[in-house]
Amino acid sequence: MRELVARYLSRSISRRSFLKGLTTAGVSLGAAKGILESIVPAAHAQAAAPEGIKVFQGTGGACFAEQLIASGVKYVFGNSASEDAQFYEALVDRPQLKYILSPHEGPGAAMAAGYVKASGEPTIVMQAAVVGLMNAMGQMYNAFKEQTPLVFYSYRTDQTRRAGRDGFEEVANQEQIVGPLTKYSWLARRADMIPETLRRAFKAAWTPPYGPTYASWHSDFNDETGVRTEIITQQKVDPRMRVRPNPAEVERAAKLLVEARMPLLIVGDELYNTKSVAKAVKLAELLGMPVTQARQMYANFPQSHHLWVGTPGAGTLASLTYPKEPDVVFSVGNKLQHNGPSPIVPRSAKFIDMRIDSASMGNVITTEVPLVADVAYGLDDLTAAVEGLMTASIRKRVEERAQEVRGFGERARGMRALVVKNPDWNRNNPMLSDRLTWEIAQFADPDAIIVHEAGSIGLHSFGFNPLGGRELFFYYGAHLGSGVGTAAGVKLARPNQQVICLVGDGSFIFGPTALWNMARLELPVITIVYNNHAYSGPHSRVIEKTAGGRMVQTGQFYHDYLGNPDMNMAHIAKGFGVDGEVVESPVQLKAALARARKATVEGRPYLIDAQVARTGVAWAEKPWVPPIRVAGERTRKV
Amino acid sequence: MKDAIRRPGYTGVVLAFLLVFPLTILSGVAHAQQAKPTGFPDAPGRDLLLGRCFQCHGDGIWRDHRQDQRGWEGVLYRMVGRGALWTEQEIGTMAGYLATVRGTSTDKTQR
Repeated sequence: MRELVARYLSRSISRRSFLKGLTTAGVSLGAAKGILESIVPAAHAQAAAPEGIKVFQGTGGACFAEQLIASGVKYVFGNSASEDAQFYEALVDRPQLKYILSPHEGPGAAMAAGYVKASGEPTIVMQAAVVGLMNAMGQMYNAFKEQTPLVFYSYRTDQTRRAGRDGFEEVANQEQIVGPLTKYSWLARRADMIPETLRRAFKAAWTPPYGPTYASWHSDFNDETGVRTEIITQQKVDPRMRVRPNPAEVERAAKLLVEARMPLLIVGDELYNTKSVAKAVKLAELLGMPVTQARQMYANFPQSHHLWVGTPGAGTLASLTYPKEPDVVFSVGNKLQHNGPSPIVPRSAKFIDMRIDSASMGNVITTEVPLVADVAYGLDDLTAAVEGLMTASIRKRVEERAQEVRGFGERARGMRALVVKNPDWNRNNPMLSDRLTWEIAQFADPDAIIVHEAGSIGLHSFGFNPLGGRELFFYYGAHLGSGVGTAAGVKLARPNQQVICLVGDGSFIFGPTALWNMARLELPVITIVYNNHAYSGPHSRVIEKTAGGRMVQTGQFYHDYLGNPDMNMAHIAKGFGVDGEVVESPVQLKAALARARKATVEGRPYLIDAQVARTGVAWAEKPWVPPIRVAGERTRKV
Repeated sequence: MKDAIRRPGYTGVVLAFLLVFPLTILSGVAHAQQAKPTGFPDAPGRDLLLGRCFQCHGDGIWRDHRQDQRGWEGVLYRMVGRGALWTEQEIGTMAGYLATVRGTSTDKTQR
């Protein structure tokens, strides 16, 4: 309640939100109104400025904290930074601002990003000067690629009167380093400009298409006293950009879709972000239109739906088993990341592209109908237009097509289930990774959230359904070490859903420090490491490029083996305060999963280090290790 | 080459002899679609294999792998886990073909 009162008095929340917060906390409506009445005089005493605007006077660090509150921030993610002293000082009397200390900026930023993705709420991630920023930039890159609205801040260690002298932790033009990875980057010129700089950073990050932003200022601005400035709520500066598509283009798109022989819908993350998955389902059903998804972060369509045809194996629609030759393709909210020269959508199909991110339209794929729009509005308008064109004969054709798609879907489900027929299915020590995945899918709650940074595994058997079923948080940026942090952030945002983090050993070791946050914050996440002691993806890709070459002939691969000594991820977890164990067989796995469930029910995170097989070309039983040893060079036993 | 530096971590995982699964679209895969497969002599199952596997893969990955039918079945079922849609009969046919032309006793110089 103290927090709610503080937020109300600081105008971070409205009267209505204040009452709602109290009633949600269990206070009766009558009692909540009584509390509100009791603090109204205090609120009025502060009400010299117009609604949403107040004049504040204090240190630069306190101005920073005040603006974060006004911008709607609840959690702040940061790593210890000496020059943020006055900000920390300000936190003591602002309990509504919760500071989460992360022991490394990278996983800390991943945690912040996970929180934003799972909550839809703003946050900021803070680093110490350029040295901390450098650690965070990997996740800044991820946020840029994934269009995550995340605000980054770090001060410049150099102070205003000594900048430019190649000082300690100083680099010239610090704010420009992040330029290509941010939507907005700015260095505040005065202490009283700190709040405005922050407001613009939040506004830019949260105006579609989303993306990371960066705010910075000289460190002495934080220490400056008597700074007088305006603190303004985000609602007063947010353009609330929600764009309806061009009506003429909507009509053209609707006509193409109803007249199509075989339309195909590609779904994307803007559906998840705008909570519009149900609208996409409605339109697909209206048209009897098969649905697929090229690589994205979320599962944006119910995978058990009769119109779901699976994902294209090689990324392009040509690699879809069905339908083979769609004549109209409609992508909604998917950037369509191209990794090869062939367009994902073949030139032969008429392409309708609905997204808010107009900058990435038409770059590779020629577009018959561009629909720049908030996809929620766009789908509403397009669905209405399609309904207006439906005739009895079109409905009959739609029904026939839906039956055909349903038939394919049923056959496909049967074929996907064949994964358990692998002759190595019961293999022990190490296990088959597909078996591990399957067991986890049997174990997971019906509404579990799967955070997935085990990029090379096939994520089968989960049956994701963003409409109340299991959800997926994959990655798009691929700066590794994000999985554990993301899972921690997701659990922070969604404490009442099971969160399972799947991570490869290579990815895990880039960012395990967020385990410590799980332990400290009592975030009961189940982390499962697919540990084959190898970089198997690069192993296979390198062999494909050097088939029959010297590496294969000699078995000398320099780049892929992580064993000898083997890393024990359960021991690493214990070092961070998280219980865990190593498992080598399906039987051990089931018992371990039961222990993981018990731990999480009790509020504790748990880690399973699952030993899985290295599969592929030219893996030796005991892979070669480059003979680099210092023992022969030692002449003293020191 | 940041990408090259970061690629390793994709793995940490079991991984696959073949590289693809539905949500992991790795560069090179799309190129593979246009590759003309070589070194696959005529035998029952050849057309099926070329029609199915070369949707996603080029021929480089196959050259150095030799194993029996059971081993090839293991590979093909792992591809099912990555989204491949095949029947048991198709898997058996393809594994039989691979065991013939990429079996343990097959000459590695065969192209």
